Amino acid sequence: MQVFLQTLIGGVTFGAVYALVAMGFSIVYRTMGLVNFAHGSVVMIGAYAASTFYLATQLPFAVAIIVAITVTGLIGLIIERFLRPLENKDFTLMLIGTIGFGAVLEAGAVLIWGATGHAVPSPVATGPIDLAGIRIPTYNLVVIAVAAAATGLLALFLQRTKRGAAMQAVAMDHQAATAVGIHVGRSNAMAFAIGAGLAALAGSLIGPMLYVNPTMGGTLGIKGFAAAMLGGFGSMPGAIVGGLAFGLLDAFAAGNFQEYSELVTFLVFAVIVMIRPTGIFGEATVNRA
Amino acid sequence: MSFARSSIAAAAFIALAACAPPGQSAAPEAGATGPLKIANINAQSGQLSSLGQWEHKGVKLAIDEANKAGGVNGRQIQLDLFDDQGDPTIGTNLARKIASEGYIAMLGTAESAVTLAMAPILKDAKIPNITSGQSPKLAELKSPFLFLNAPTSVTFDETLAKYLVDDKGHKKIALISNNGAYGAGEHDAFLAALKSRNVTPVADEIVTPDQKDFNANLAKIREEEPEVLFIGAEEVQSGLIAKQARELGIEATFAGGAPMGTDVYATTAGTETAEDSVVSSPYLSNEASDEIKAFAAKYKAAYGEDARMHVAKAYDGASILIEALKQTGGEGGQKLADAIRGVKRAGLLGDYTFDANGVGIHETKIGLVKDGKVEPEAAS
Repeated sequence: MQVFLQTLIGGVTFGAVYALVAMGFSIVYRTMGLVNFAHGSVVMIGAYAASTFYLATQLPFAVAIIVAITVTGLIGLIIERFLRPLENKDFTLMLIGTIGFGAVLEAGAVLIWGATGHAVPSPVATGPIDLAGIRIPTYNLVVIAVAAAATGLLALFLQRTKRGAAMQAVAMDHQAATAVGIHVGRSNAMAFAIGAGLAALAGSLIGPMLYVNPTMGGTLGIKGFAAAMLGGFGSMPGAIVGGLAFGLLDAFAAGNFQEYSELVTFLVFAVIVMIRPTGIFGEATVNRA
Repeated sequence: MSFARSSIAAAAFIALAACAPPGQSAAPEAGATGPLKIANINAQSGQLSSLGQWEHKGVKLAIDEANKAGGVNGRQIQLDLFDDQGDPTIGTNLARKIASEGYIAMLGTAESAVTLAMAPILKDAKIPNITSGQSPKLAELKSPFLFLNAPTSVTFDETLAKYLVDDKGHKKIALISNNGAYGAGEHDAFLAALKSRNVTPVADEIVTPDQKDFNANLAKIREEEPEVLFIGAEEVQSGLIAKQARELGIEATFAGGAPMGTDVYATTAGTETAEDSVVSSPYLSNEASDEIKAFAAKYKAAYGEDARMHVAKAYDGASILIEALKQTGGEGGQKLADAIRGVKRAGLLGDYTFDANGVGIHETKIGLVKDGKVEPEAAS
């Protein structure tokens, strides 16, 4: 029982981060119909931006996170601006463009910060909470809380604000949205910026739990992408459920299947996607090509 | 566009390299003039590039010194760097490339898996290779052209088990290791060392090299209340395991090989968590001896960063090669391999005497992590 609950704690914490990464993938996909393959690298840049600022200035970690979100939000806008001429013209080239941006960001990180990387001390000094033998590191609780708050804010923005509603409209039918006077380009740019901001949030949060280096985006990107697929690509509730499900799947596979855990995780994932190709909260696929 | 062009170029290169019969390259004649061509193959990009870059800096330092001192019998050494990206397939292509381009020796790689893939080609081409890999599988090849500049995992873990079990009397030992080339080697070697002492580990958890969350594995280990937790993983993963183990309330002493003696391990785990970790390594710190202090100062002056074991062993390997080249007068092939095997050198990692399997160092030392740095354990 103790092992089960302890596994659950680890799974939920990493699941929360995968959910943030998955939401970033999904918000771009639902608005533009595009998979942003640079997303994992943006997570890495976010982790670097937050940790470098935090280590250099000693200001509260929350400030570092906001700086990281701003920096990567700008990167998101730049990527979108580069891809905009291709919108509705060459979809494949856009996809390859995002892969290219991923490589550029990774190479840029090596140039700026070097290939070695750095460890980030935990911003929360207090020790783990002990609940009848189940140990919960306080920082894990912070991660889960911040991820939940960010999810809530994003839902409010999409449902309650005019801009959010406009983005929803573009996601549903971009031609009709254009007809009623919504600027599709601006909507896309916003999606990219929010996606990058979510990536930065995920990166900053995971930094103190892991080790920040130029290749850290690879695994996080793949797992976040898989989580988005599992939940239903393009669906925001799907990204959250998918992220948590993937975190738990990963954690329990590690405990029960040892060195085969990764194999088991992705086999289960493949079987679920075969049975339900649209994921748990599957929506009609957007295709702009 | 440039991506497409470079992949065509790469494909063409692979096709050409595959055509060149190994061993039939134009090796430089004895007594020839001009520079001696030595290849350094190490990952300069990708996940393992930090290792590869350290290795290259160590090798370059030794070669630059030799060239400044007049080279080998008046001939300069030409050191060329090739990027294997930590990928065995790229490694084999590079092995064929250096064989066809007249390189007489190769230094590297830092990755056992890449060196294992390259070894048969280099053996056929009679190109001696001093590697930084430490997998016991390298020694098992028994290639007369392959030399290791460090001990294999067997030596690391035999020393560690001797200290933990024989000297300290620990019996409740748990293992956690990854199933990558390095972690699996550590796991097998340490388990064998325990078995020879009739100790059965209380837990033996295997993780994947990419794993980040060890709650499930560590919760199982915690139930066994071990006195010692052996960690068989690379620097970062070792640090993450140690950190999460302490967070879970595991009080065991952490023990492991060379990765746990690095600052990467100490900073990832946190200085407090890493305190008193037991490290088995031939190179404990930059202050271990006067020779090492002098080397560390020289390295810092050249590159502006602290020296570490990977740098030191690459430097040792290159120094041994230079010494052997001086003996053969710049000649390569079988003669150079024999000369390398004959080199006895008091290096930074210890006294080198190569055995029939090409292993140069046969003992490691025990150190304890104190305030993020390794200090030699006082002989008990």
